[in-house]
Amino acid sequence: MVNAIKGVFISCDIPMAQFIVNMNNGLAPSQRFIIHVLDTTHLFVQPQVEQMIRAAIAEFRDQNSYEKPT
Amino acid sequence: MSERGRPNKKTKHDDQKMKKIQNEEALYSDDDTGDHDGIYFEGEGGAVEETDFSKLELKADHANRPLWACGGGRIFLETFSPLYKQASDFLIAIAEPVCRPESMHEYNLTPHSLYAAVSVGLETEAIISVLNKLSKTKLPEDMISFIYASTANYGKVKLVLKKNRYFIESPFPEVLKKLLQDGVINGARFSSEPYCGADGFTVGKTSGELEAGHGELLNEAESAAAAEEKETHSFEIDPAQVENVKQRCLSKDLNYPMLEEYDFRNDNVNPDLDMELKPHAQPRPYQEKSLSKMFGNGRARSGIIVLPCGAGKSLVGVSAAARIKKSCLCLATNAVSVDQWAFQFKLWSTIRDDQICRFTSDSKEAFRGNAVVVVTTYNMIAFGGKRSEESEKIIEEIRNREWGLLLMDEVHVVPANMFRKVISITKSHCKLGLTATLVREDEKITDLNFLIGPKLYEANWLDLVRGGFIANVQCAEVWCPMTKEFFAKYLQKDNSKKKQALYVMNPNKFRACEFLIRFHEEQRGDKIIVFADNLFALTEYAMKLRKPMFYGATSHVERTKILEAFKTSKNLNTIFLSKVGDNSIDIPEANVIIQISSHAGSRRQEAQRLGRILRAKGKLEDRMAGGKEEYNAFFYSLVSTDTQEMYYSTKRQQFLIDQGYSFKVITSLPPPDAGSSLSYSTQQEQLSLLTKVLNAGDDLVGLEQLEEDTDGMALQNDRRSKRSMSAMSGADGNVYKEYNSGRHKSSAQQSKKPKHPIFKTRFVS
Repeated sequence: MVNAIKGVFISCDIPMAQFIVNMNNGLAPSQRFIIHVLDTTHLFVQPQVEQMIRAAIAEFRDQNSYEKPT
Repeated sequence: MSERGRPNKKTKHDDQKMKKIQNEEALYSDDDTGDHDGIYFEGEGGAVEETDFSKLELKADHANRPLWACGGGRIFLETFSPLYKQASDFLIAIAEPVCRPESMHEYNLTPHSLYAAVSVGLETEAIISVLNKLSKTKLPEDMISFIYASTANYGKVKLVLKKNRYFIESPFPEVLKKLLQDGVINGARFSSEPYCGADGFTVGKTSGELEAGHGELLNEAESAAAAEEKETHSFEIDPAQVENVKQRCLSKDLNYPMLEEYDFRNDNVNPDLDMELKPHAQPRPYQEKSLSKMFGNGRARSGIIVLPCGAGKSLVGVSAAARIKKSCLCLATNAVSVDQWAFQFKLWSTIRDDQICRFTSDSKEAFRGNAVVVVTTYNMIAFGGKRSEESEKIIEEIRNREWGLLLMDEVHVVPANMFRKVISITKSHCKLGLTATLVREDEKITDLNFLIGPKLYEANWLDLVRGGFIANVQCAEVWCPMTKEFFAKYLQKDNSKKKQALYVMNPNKFRACEFLIRFHEEQRGDKIIVFADNLFALTEYAMKLRKPMFYGATSHVERTKILEAFKTSKNLNTIFLSKVGDNSIDIPEANVIIQISSHAGSRRQEAQRLGRILRAKGKLEDRMAGGKEEYNAFFYSLVSTDTQEMYYSTKRQQFLIDQGYSFKVITSLPPPDAGSSLSYSTQQEQLSLLTKVLNAGDDLVGLEQLEEDTDGMALQNDRRSKRSMSAMSGADGNVYKEYNSGRHKSSAQQSKKPKHPIFKTRFVS
C-alpha cells in the first residue's frame, strides 16, 4: 500500500540545508517539520512551514550582510 | 493525484525562486530579471525624497561643465570631463572627498573643509564663483549661504604661541569679548596675569576693561583698522585648555574658527636648524602639492596630509621639517618606525648625525645643540608612570622647548586621550599629521580637526595608481562555501564562542589558500604574505603548509631573521603574520596578500594591509596605464559564505571602495579538479580538523590582543587598561570593568565609600 504524504520539496545548497536541519532540531519534537532529509542538498518538509523557513533564511542572510549606512 | 501534482509544481517554482534569492548574495548578480528590478525601485521609494535633484536648474551649456552641485553640500564630479584635473584640484581644496570610484566622484562641503580652503588663501567670493563656473546647475541657495556662513569669521581669531605661552589674538576686541562670554573660554583664560605687549603689539585688555569700555574699544578698533595699524588684542589661555577652546570656537558653537599659522621665517627667537633637502630628494607632483597646501602663504599651517601607504609620506614629513628649519619633534607609533624615521631624515636631508636623536626605551640619545630633530614614540611622551632619571631629563627638555614642527606619523591610530597628553606636554608652533587611512571605528576622527588641524590634502589613490606611483592592486574576495560538518557546528548555539575559529578553519578556505599560495609561488614567483588574526588558525595553517610565521609574542630577533630570509631567500616566498604585521612593517618585496581571518569590520585594517603591497614595483613603464602588466599586486580576502564573515568583509571593504577600488568576487577556488593535490580532500581529514577546532580551548581560538590596538578594541567594546592589576594578570573580565566604570550605579557607590586611603593608589592609580 502506497502512502502519500503532502509536503514541500526543498532544494538548496549544503549550508542552507544544514541551516534548515538545525532549525528543525531546535524545535520541540512535536513541532519538527522535516519529513525526510533526502541528501545534502534536498529536503522534504511539511507544507505549512514554507513561509517560516523563508523568513528564517531571509533573517539569517540579513544578519550576514552589511549595508552601508547613509 | 492531481492534487499532489499541483503543489509539487508550485514548490518547484518556489524552489527556483529560492535559488534565485540565494544568487542575490552575489552582490551584482547578472541574472536579475525585470520583476526583481521593480522590487528594488519600490524599496528605494523612501530615499528618493532626499536625493531628488530634479528641481535644480540645468545651465544651457551644462555638457561642458564637470560638476553637479546638489543640495546639502554634495558635489559630484565627472572624471571623464576634460576639465577633470582642474576641477578635482579645486574641489579637494574646498571639499572633502566622500567616495572616488572610477568615473564619478562624490565630495562634501563641510565647515572644516571650507576653513582649510580659506586658510590656503581662497576667498569666499572666489570659491562661489569658481564653483558656479564649474557647475552644470545653478548653485543651490543653501550651498551659497553655507559657504558664506562657514567662511565669514575665519581668520578673525588667531592662536599664537609665544615664549611657551598660548595667546588668543585678534585685531577685533569685540570678537575677543564675544569669545570671553563663553564659559569654557573664560575658564581657560589666565586672568591673573594680563599679558602686556612686549614686541610692538598694543595688547593686554583684561576682561574687566573689555567689559567696561565697550563702546570706546569698538571705536578704537575701527580707527585702528582704518589706520592699518597692526594693533592686536590678546589674552593668554591655559595650555591644558587649548584644545577645548579650539573646539568651542568651531562652527557648532561660536563660529570663530581659530587660525593657527607659524611665521617661521620671521621667528628670530628660536634657533635655526641647519638642514636642507638633498638634491636627489625630488618630491613627486602630489607630494609637492600637499606641501604647497601646508606652506601656501609662506607660513606653515597645522593640518593633516593623507597619502596612501607606500606613496612616500616620510619624504613629505622631512621636506616640511627642512622648510621650517626649526627644532622638530617627530612622533611615530613604535620603536621600529622610530628607526625608520631617523633613517629617512638622514636619507633625504643634509642633517648631521649629531642633530638628530632618537628617544625610545632602548636608545636615549641626549640632546646636543640648540636645534635638533628628535624622533620618539607617542608612548614615550605620554607615559604616565615613573621614568628613569635619564629619560626624565630628556622629557623635561622636550617640555621646555618650543618646537617649530610637531610631526606626527600615523595619526589615525593614536587614541584621543594620548594625543591630548602629547599636545599638552609639547609646545609646538605647527603640527603636521600624516596618515593613510583617516578612518576609525570609534568615530573619534573628527577630534583631529581641533587637536591638529584641518585636512590639508588627500591624494586620490586611483590617480596615483595611474601615475605609476603606487602598485596597481587587483582586489579579490574569494568565496569559500562552508562544508556541511563545519556549518552544522557553526549553527549550534553552544559553539557561539568558536564561531570565528569554525569559519576560519573551514577546509574549503584552507584549500583555497593553499591553492593560491601554490599558484603564486610556482607560476608567478611572487612573494606572499598571509594574514590571520586568529592565532589558532595562524599556527594551524602555517604548520600544515610548513611556512614560517610570527605574531605578537615572537621575539624581535626571530622576526628580523624571518623577515631577512623572506626578503633575500629564493626558497622562502610565503610568510604568515598575525596582525602585528598590519602597520609599519616595511616589506617592499611582497606583492601578494592573502587574508584568511581579519579583525571584525575594521576598515582601517583592510586598508593598512593593502598598504603592505602598495609600494610600487617593477619598472615604471610597465606600471603606467597600457604597460605590460595590468596588475602587479594581488590582495585576496578569503571569506566563508553564509557566515558573519560576509558581513564583516563587506564592511571592511568600504574604505577601499570609497577610494575607488573594486573587489572582484571569485567563487570557484580551488578549481574542482584540484582534488587530492590539496590538503583536507577527504571527509575523514576534514572531520579530524573539526574535532581539533572544537577541542581547542576558548582562549586559543580567540583574537590576539595587542597593546597599541585601540581601534580594534573599540570594535569589540572592550578596552584594556595598562594600569589595572587585573588586566596584567589577564583576568580582566567585562564584569570587572563594569564595576570599575560605575555603570552599575549601586555597586559603584558601594565601591566608593569603603575605600581606605591606603588602597587608593592601588585601585585608582
